[in-house]
Amino acid sequence: MIVSRANRLAKATTALRWAVFVLVALVLNFPILATVLTSFKTMADINTSPPPLIFWPTLENYVEVLFAGNADFPRYLFNSVVMASGGAVIAILLAFPAAYAMVRYDVGKSWLLPIITNLRALPLIIYAIPIYLMFQFAGLLDTRFGLALIAAVINVPVALVLFVGFIQDIPDELDAAAKIDGAGKWGILRHVIFPLSRPILFAVAILSFIYAWNEFIFGLILTTRQAVPVTVGATFFVTTYGVKWGATAAAMTLGIIPPLVLGLFAYPYIGKSMLTGALKG
Amino acid sequence: MAAKTIGLDQGDKAEARVFLAGLCVFLALMLGFPTLANLWYSFSDVSFQNLASTDFVGLRHYADAVANPRMWTALGFSVRFALLTTAIEVGIGLVLVFVLHPLLTKRPWLTGILMLPMMVSPALMGVMYRLILNEFTGLVPGYLELVGISMNFLGRANVYATLVAIEVLQWTPFAFLILLTARQGVAYELEEAAAVDGATGLRLFLHVILPIMLPAIAIVAFIRFIDGFRVFDHIFVLTGGGPGTQTTSISIHIYKLFFVQNRLGEAVALSVMLLVAALALLYFGLKLVVRRTAR
Repeated sequence: MIVSRANRLAKATTALRWAVFVLVALVLNFPILATVLTSFKTMADINTSPPPLIFWPTLENYVEVLFAGNADFPRYLFNSVVMASGGAVIAILLAFPAAYAMVRYDVGKSWLLPIITNLRALPLIIYAIPIYLMFQFAGLLDTRFGLALIAAVINVPVALVLFVGFIQDIPDELDAAAKIDGAGKWGILRHVIFPLSRPILFAVAILSFIYAWNEFIFGLILTTRQAVPVTVGATFFVTTYGVKWGATAAAMTLGIIPPLVLGLFAYPYIGKSMLTGALKG
Repeated sequence: MAAKTIGLDQGDKAEARVFLAGLCVFLALMLGFPTLANLWYSFSDVSFQNLASTDFVGLRHYADAVANPRMWTALGFSVRFALLTTAIEVGIGLVLVFVLHPLLTKRPWLTGILMLPMMVSPALMGVMYRLILNEFTGLVPGYLELVGISMNFLGRANVYATLVAIEVLQWTPFAFLILLTARQGVAYELEEAAAVDGATGLRLFLHVILPIMLPAIAIVAFIRFIDGFRVFDHIFVLTGGGPGTQTTSISIHIYKLFFVQNRLGEAVALSVMLLVAALALLYFGLKLVVRRTAR
């Protein structure tokens, strides 16, 4: 009797936990759900009040955003892809050898590492003005390469901290063995550390891509036409398209899908990476 | 650790510095140089017409920045916004950890669903809310009208609460994720021992688990405060800092000084002050966090 009562109580508690979970999941993801749904609605359905929950989905908004004669949106997507991948590659190329040297040869770990990890906590706007002027001088304004450089700056701290943490856990007997076989420092990096670091390289690449894709301030300041990324291009929609909410919703959906899909792969690393600004100082 | 460094001679170290060279040069160019430029501009008679000015104006730009009442409004907004959002995010995060921990420990993949808002660009999140909260075709006002409530979320009276809510809805998952990780790190033996002493449910959480989670709470609060303080994206997209200067954060204030009002010197001087303040906050904040984390 007592057992079954306790049992029922446990079941009720679990049910309550599920209810809270579903509610929280719906509330938190509401803007995403609503936008995706709106993107499949016809103009008539969007303007119906109250908004219909059940409707016949259409792709017309996507056609308009992607294939209309004067559509700029495909270019924004392309810009973001180039900028985010370029930024990820640059950040990895710079941070990976540095992390190796810091861990294995104990150089720069005491002064450079804390400086770099703290960069994430600085308000980006501080650097907006001098970088704008610098880019103007160097002819990098409104270029995808310029934005990729910024993306790399933003991602270096995360990349470095995750690399340092990972390489520390690789046993250095492996280095010693390679050394006996005659491998130099580059050789060890290329043939020992690099192959073993594939998982973290993959994670850093994904995280860097997401962060760069979602960046806004520098995209806003440093681009005007040619290199405009999705985050900035999407804001043009609200003004230029006026009341074309369907097209705006379709654009939004295309703009959030890449980081959402990648994020699902990388979310175990995300909490860890976001702590970098505070933990390793 | 010690064994590793003993085997290194100075030649080895010098050679290894080459691996740092790329990173150092890159950061010197992209951040070191801009920092110096900031300092230089903040003391010189600079303007868009005269970018290479060498006329020294002392602290004039700093005085201008501090004397501008809008700076204080913006600073006040940023501080209040950061404190309020941090408190709510950490609070809700803790409640959710308490309620959802058993569920998510058995099914870790569920956590991913709650993390999705974090992956969305804050700027795009702002645009999405603009869509949803739109007075005429937005979903939320549409349904609220059904029950007889008519509300303009971005009007003067509600805009502050709306912006806070958007920030909280997007970043509570972050607080939750870190706090959940900390909660999962609490040793099970400890919980059992406490349970034997009669502490269960809420009492167990408040008196046994919460104290252990304190360092994680401090870290989360610290990070969320910094991010809240420098807020730019979703506010810029939704209100542009308006109506008037009602929702102008310090980041938006600097942006406007430079790109709208052409007050280059003042904007740069304010950037330098913000940099110093951020470094000071980091230094002391970290000291506090590290001291609490170190057992």
